[in-house]
Amino acid sequence: MSEQISALIDDEIAAEDAMHIITSMQSQKQAAEAWQYYHLIGDVMRGDAAFSKDFKQNLMKKIDAEATVLSPAAQKASTAVSNPTLIKTKLPAAWSIAASVAAVAVVGLMAFDTHMQNTDIAPIEIAQSIPSEYLLAHRASAPSSGSYYTQPDYVQSVSFSQ
Amino acid sequence: MRTKYIALALTFAGALLALNHASAVNTSDLINTPVTQAKLAPSEELWQTLQKAAVAAHALSYQGIFTYQTGQQSKSVQITHYFNGKGEFARNIVLDATPREVFSQGGDLVIYSPRNEKIVIEKRRGQNMFPAVLPTNLNLVKENYNPRLGEVENVAGRPAQIIYLEPKDNLRYSYRLWVDSEYGLLLKSAMINGRNETMEQIGFVQVSLLNKIDLDWFVPTIDSTKSYVMEEDAPTATSSKADGKSKVAAWKINGLPSGYRKVDQVERIVHGKTAPVVHVIFSDGLASVSLFIEPVIKGIKPKTGHMLVGNTSFYSSVNSGHQITVVGEVPEATVAQIANAVSFKK
Repeated sequence: MSEQISALIDDEIAAEDAMHIITSMQSQKQAAEAWQYYHLIGDVMRGDAAFSKDFKQNLMKKIDAEATVLSPAAQKASTAVSNPTLIKTKLPAAWSIAASVAAVAVVGLMAFDTHMQNTDIAPIEIAQSIPSEYLLAHRASAPSSGSYYTQPDYVQSVSFSQ
Repeated sequence: MRTKYIALALTFAGALLALNHASAVNTSDLINTPVTQAKLAPSEELWQTLQKAAVAAHALSYQGIFTYQTGQQSKSVQITHYFNGKGEFARNIVLDATPREVFSQGGDLVIYSPRNEKIVIEKRRGQNMFPAVLPTNLNLVKENYNPRLGEVENVAGRPAQIIYLEPKDNLRYSYRLWVDSEYGLLLKSAMINGRNETMEQIGFVQVSLLNKIDLDWFVPTIDSTKSYVMEEDAPTATSSKADGKSKVAAWKINGLPSGYRKVDQVERIVHGKTAPVVHVIFSDGLASVSLFIEPVIKGIKPKTGHMLVGNTSFYSSVNSGHQITVVGEVPEATVAQIANAVSFKK
């Protein structure tokens, strides 16, 4: 499935032929996430404006500052850092490596984030109150026309009569 | 950075909906045919007017301000809705109290709301958003409600035909709908209970058709210095964190209140619950009701009883070691009957 999503993004599959991919993206969280991540990776690789202006420079400096054990070119790179203009001319080759690193970092961060959201659910005291969590769930999936415009917070303060 | 991929996802979803949904609607047709106003119109003619209103909400381009009122609160919302022949774009900005922006493309919504120092972004599926409160397929509504012609009354400075939708039984509330005499657009809708009290009302105070065809307005005006939080509304079957499948025993439903159909069923992670909860959604075409089933949790007192908050009825009961909770904008009898329709296999 991931491969097919990737192919769709790269225009290797015609949109008309991709209804099954699209359907699965609508129904499967995993597929939908893959779609988002692939786009994000693409953005980063193309250097789209997702990051701050000096991101490139900062990242290059950080990479240069790292001890590079395997690459004999490391020595050259560290001399280049003293001269910013040199970095610019070297960018195209180095950039794709940097972009890959960045993409991995970003995806890692986002996965971490999602994980945090899922686990960070504090237990709430519901014994004395109306089941507001169910009202929210009800409104999220079977909404009345007004539920989009109202903050749901108020329901928490209303007590549930037994 | 996140807004960016949300925008992508939204654009993409919209394109899909355009493919699936917006089969050629002839907009000019809608505008040129005035809504019939014959006295003593047979119900078929009223249904046609309502059918037209259901389509007009999607197929016309308009902007205006409407207010949403319940017994508890009132909100003004600025709406811009644009249909380009293929896809629908709408922006709703809540003008009162906490600002909120609701963007929809097709049936996919993104809601931006500031919370403390952050902007919370929620994604949802959207239906029934005013003025598109009527489903384009009215068959289920026809089974459960009788239309009745009312007066012509001005709404937002425009003449509107009132049509009542009266329930065929006491398992649902009645509705009063104002349909623009010229454009066929629904201008106002009110939900009325059995004691003739208005439970909820939503209507334009100002509305006009939209001529410009750009989408410059389809951008959230959020504070870019604030950070974003994605609110996951994930009714997916399993989550990595919970114990996977819900622990609900095999159940079935016998004896639903008449006119209600099951329209969806998901297992969802509900805030504060350790295991996924079964969530079943029922509809009678206009009103919707949610049923939740979960095992009774050790150490937490199960709930029983009925309660009405605003226009929403709650009913809780315990059945074979399961907590049943039913929630909906319907009379008490309906939520109680749905709760009692659930039975577990011994």
